[in-house]
Amino acid sequence: MFTQQLMNALAIGSVYALTAMGATLIYGILGILDIANAGAYLIGAYLGWYIYYGTGSIVLAFVLSIVAVGILGILIQKFIYSPILAKPNTLSIIPLVAAVGLFTMSSDLVRLICGPYSLSYNFDFGVTSIKIGPVVLVPAWILIFALTAVLLLILWIILNKTKLGLAWRATANDPEIAKVCGVNTNNAMALSYILGYGFAAAAGIMVGILYNSITPALGEVPSYKMLAIIVLGGLGNPLGTVLAGLIIGFTEVFLSAYTSIPIPKDAIAFVVLIIMLLIKPEGLLGQKNKI
Amino acid sequence: MNSSYLFSILATASIFTLLALSLNIITGYAGQAMMGIAAFFGIGAYTAAIITTHDGNFLLALLAAMIVSGVFGAVLGVISLRLQADFLAITTIGINFVMAAVFNSLKITGGTLGLTTSKPVIFGLKMNNMYFFIFTTILIVIVCLLITKMRHSWFGMALASIENDPGAARSFGINVSKYQILAFIIGTALAGLTGGIYSHRMGFISSTDFAFVVSIQIVSMCVIGGLGTLRGPIFGAVVLTVLPEVLRFADNYRELVYALLLVIMVRFMPEGLLGDDSPVWKFLVGLFRKIKPRKKTRADLIAEKAKAGEYELSGEGGQA
Amino acid sequence: MEELMRVEGLKMYFGGLKAIDGFDLVINKGETLGIIGPNGAGKTTLFNAICGVYKPTDGKVILEGKEVQGTPAFEMAKLGIARTFQISKPLRGLTIFDNIVAAAGVQEYTGIGSYFHKSHTKEVEDKVEAIIHETGLSEVANKKASDVSLGYLRRLEIARVLVTDPKLIMLDEPCAGLSNFAINEITELIFKLKEQNRSIVLIEHNLPLTMRVCDRITVLSYGKKICEGTPEYVKNDEQVIEAYLGKEDED
Repeated sequence: MFTQQLMNALAIGSVYALTAMGATLIYGILGILDIANAGAYLIGAYLGWYIYYGTGSIVLAFVLSIVAVGILGILIQKFIYSPILAKPNTLSIIPLVAAVGLFTMSSDLVRLICGPYSLSYNFDFGVTSIKIGPVVLVPAWILIFALTAVLLLILWIILNKTKLGLAWRATANDPEIAKVCGVNTNNAMALSYILGYGFAAAAGIMVGILYNSITPALGEVPSYKMLAIIVLGGLGNPLGTVLAGLIIGFTEVFLSAYTSIPIPKDAIAFVVLIIMLLIKPEGLLGQKNKI
Repeated sequence: MNSSYLFSILATASIFTLLALSLNIITGYAGQAMMGIAAFFGIGAYTAAIITTHDGNFLLALLAAMIVSGVFGAVLGVISLRLQADFLAITTIGINFVMAAVFNSLKITGGTLGLTTSKPVIFGLKMNNMYFFIFTTILIVIVCLLITKMRHSWFGMALASIENDPGAARSFGINVSKYQILAFIIGTALAGLTGGIYSHRMGFISSTDFAFVVSIQIVSMCVIGGLGTLRGPIFGAVVLTVLPEVLRFADNYRELVYALLLVIMVRFMPEGLLGDDSPVWKFLVGLFRKIKPRKKTRADLIAEKAKAGEYELSGEGGQA
Repeated sequence: MEELMRVEGLKMYFGGLKAIDGFDLVINKGETLGIIGPNGAGKTTLFNAICGVYKPTDGKVILEGKEVQGTPAFEMAKLGIARTFQISKPLRGLTIFDNIVAAAGVQEYTGIGSYFHKSHTKEVEDKVEAIIHETGLSEVANKKASDVSLGYLRRLEIARVLVTDPKLIMLDEPCAGLSNFAINEITELIFKLKEQNRSIVLIEHNLPLTMRVCDRITVLSYGKKICEGTPEYVKNDEQVIEAYLGKEDED
């Protein structure tokens, strides 16, 4: 039972980490709390569903929706966020308000176009469960672990081993200095959005397969829970985000399995967040002197 | 349109106007990112409802709603001192979710069933929508007068300075922490008062009335109208209450239109339709000035005289 | 000369970094004291530690016989220590006039009580107008601070300091980023202040300017004082030349 919960927590934590990764990459470069990332997650899940049913290939579903939603991300960055940020004296809540608007739009568009009812992936793994000793593994979990690991590895390689990744890190560190040093900060921003929205799309499909149900309200819980996770992870720190995602996953699963606290599962992330912010206002792995 | 429907909309609009004004004190005047005003609206609503269901006086219940909500606001104000803008925004979102969950699970707030209130009686008048509208409008007028007085006081100057640059504010004697906490207390107390009115006007409240979506609606009202002005939040609250009613024929597209408007607004006019820098507002002011020219301020007079060469100029100081 | 402020053994450490490491300074009434030093010497940190932006790790700041170290910045302003910022901090949304009014309220910001006192009284406006003329901001008095050029913003910083009736004026690189023309104007303004017998501490990168306006100069290098004296004395000090130009190689 305990091991079962452990695996469950790990699966949920992985999805959280992946969903929040998009928002982290975007915050790291643009400093926007992009709730609309949850819209990308939703659109990714639906797009994946249509591609899967159109072609029968889940691989194609992943690849195409990651690419399509990534491109959508670049368009949103170029035509909505960048102009907003370019205006002087913008209040810090303005981009957040834009993100909320975009997110609401995405949920509503999906509802109007795809219908308000739920859709099922009905993805067949071939086996219903895998037994390793006393532990029963659900195939969907294995898919999630493997895909999360692969995607995070790709992210790590891009950020640490490529020129574009170097540009990203330089821009995240100090956009002004990066610009002076000849770094193309626009590319770094585009990279943030392509990866950010792409990851969200992948997470959306995974959740669709895991729970075998997608509805237009799919993005609502992640939209705000994601915020709690990226703050816990130190705002803009990819490694911290993975850690924070897992922490929230574990806390949720174990608190609801072994205790009977009165707060609902989805509010736990924020309780953890508020407690942590009071103890360590700069986030779990945040830099202390970053003002 | 029958008058009971009209007053029902007016009562709602006036309540949300008051709520938008409360958010405007914290976010507009003091510049603090508050994304969870509905939590305080809810604290006030439940406080007042609990008191009147135990046979308390309605006006006293409203006072209690203000105090309880203000105390919670003071705590948030103290927390806010430790947090940068984005952290504060997320924390307030978090507080909203946690409070909604708390309302939904505590016995005293009725849990998922919510609370039912009875229509209060003030000065022998049983409050209906029309009276609620009048009562709230009187409060709006009082709040506007108080805010106008604030804008002309050193208190207002302190908030404006903090909103613009806390570091500079400190350099000329402003205790930023103190004023920040005061702004939170005043804003949340007003939100609590509004909540008290709301719970009695509705006759029934549950946790969904104070969800994060409501906070977003209030933020939208302020942003669309123009944060940091008096007219902006009032205009925004009225428009965003009336618009959904007008769009009722297209109920299915209401949310979409609402969200689209919001995105278009912040993309093209982040200062709000009636904000000081908005082209729409400048145009309206321009029209009005043709009829009645603006009274010149001291600063205008100084600049005019300087340009007319009445003072000894110290060169083209603007060159840098 | 009468002593206004004395700094004794001031230390400002950030973790392991010793930004200011045991600094002594005396500022006399009516004098203009310059603090110079190479980049990263800790000049602005010194200002911030004295003005209460940072809490000093150790040491004393004595203003007219009273220890004031560690007092928060806003209290320091009320005590009469007024400073400008190297990177201008205008209240962008307000007019130049209102920017100065805001600073004029230095003794008025008491909390709730300040709600009951009007800001734009005739008395305040008269005072602000006088300072606007003095600092040459008349032309832009009704312009928003976000719409004026850097030269004006620098003078706005000085105007905001003057309007608080300070005992000590601390100017942090008032000429940084300005054209020669604008630098001359600021220099003129500083000379005007000197004539009024004000006590001034000036941090400046522009050495000729510092030499011209200061009565006394302190040289800071790596958080320590390496030299102090008249401009003439400092100019010829070997350590100073070394700090600025680096040690010449023997061969």
